[in-house]
Amino acid sequence: MRKTFFALLLAVLIMTLDSYTSIFESTKSNISRAIIPLQLVANFPYKVKDWVGMNTTSRTKLEQKNVSLEKERLILLGQLQRSAELAAENLRLRQLLNATELLMQSVLVTEVIGVSPNPVNHTVTVDRGTSDGVYIGQPVLDAEGLMGQVVQVYENYSKVLLITDINHALPVQVLRNGLRSIVEGTSDFNLMTLRFVSPTVDIEEGDRLVSSGLGGRFPMGYPVGTVSSISQKPGEKFLQINVTPSAKLDRSRHLLMVFTLKDGDVARDINE
Amino acid sequence: MNSNRTFHYALIMLFGALILQLIPMSGDWVLYKPNFLLLVMIAWMLYFHDQYGLKFPVIIGIFADFIFLTTLGFHILIFSISGLILIFFHRIVVYLQLIHRVTLVFLMILLAEFIGAAIDSSIDKQLSIKGVVLLAIISAICWIPLDKFVGHCYSRQK
Repeated sequence: MRKTFFALLLAVLIMTLDSYTSIFESTKSNISRAIIPLQLVANFPYKVKDWVGMNTTSRTKLEQKNVSLEKERLILLGQLQRSAELAAENLRLRQLLNATELLMQSVLVTEVIGVSPNPVNHTVTVDRGTSDGVYIGQPVLDAEGLMGQVVQVYENYSKVLLITDINHALPVQVLRNGLRSIVEGTSDFNLMTLRFVSPTVDIEEGDRLVSSGLGGRFPMGYPVGTVSSISQKPGEKFLQINVTPSAKLDRSRHLLMVFTLKDGDVARDINE
Repeated sequence: MNSNRTFHYALIMLFGALILQLIPMSGDWVLYKPNFLLLVMIAWMLYFHDQYGLKFPVIIGIFADFIFLTTLGFHILIFSISGLILIFFHRIVVYLQLIHRVTLVFLMILLAEFIGAAIDSSIDKQLSIKGVVLLAIISAICWIPLDKFVGHCYSRQK
């Protein structure tokens, strides 16, 4: 009985210490690092599945895929030309206005090698680390939108906190009218919430939210999500606004890590 | 089969449970993934409670906290309570039929999930009763081969 009491007391004591202090942080970080090779082993069935898929696809299917990709590439190149023109125009206008800073991004492709087994913690491990120039706080995207930010970096791996994690908040603005707010994670891959939005503001279902760039952590203008529902509970001062994330947070396996370049690099990039 | 050998089996099963726990699952499936470490702990505590006392759930609990990235102590508490129940009811449980043991595991998973939800309530996370029941059913099904294997080890040691 004494042992039982001691075990329960120990659990409560450790929980209190871990919740209110950071004395276990370094130990957690080291163990988290040690687990990465095990995550690689756990990821092996997916690797095998990819390999089998790649080696059993018929020639006809590959040819069809190639044609479709070639078409898609042409469309994207066309859009890129327009985008480069707009970027150059934007740069000229900013220079005319003496704008202090203009940022542009280059990206690094990375692959998810591990996912947090705890449904409450939304983190993934990716196969890029300090050796690739990855840094803490670096924004991460998928093809659809903003995924999250790097919270731990090792030599060849890093941990990314997803925007739907309960501890994550992100400054956003409504694309339609520039209304600023903060979107928070809910531990649900398909749901985020906008907090403290007054009932008098101009916001509608279907409004697209993009990162506002405030706070300096995330670059401006990346898709974050779409307003899926707006409601107000009786007696509540603020609206209850649900947001569906743009990124496929629970499905994307290949991600982009964004590197921000300063003015000089932008000019060079546009000239290229 | 000596106790040293069963310890090796326990270690191998814990490693297997760890790998199963780390296999990435997409979408809502992650909510229905059984806690394999808890299942292995229940199996070994049920049959070998004299060899694996309360220290065993505490150690696996610490281990689970690091793997699941939860607040340290969260799984120690859940695993200790589960271990405690098994120690208290061991004399009865060991003579039960498989179906009764599966029912017991189902109830223990429910209890573990409700304790977890009570601790997690501070983060405003809603508990899905349907999800918890489904998880307990899946866990109970996954526990059957575990029970067979550990039961086999137990009978060989006897």
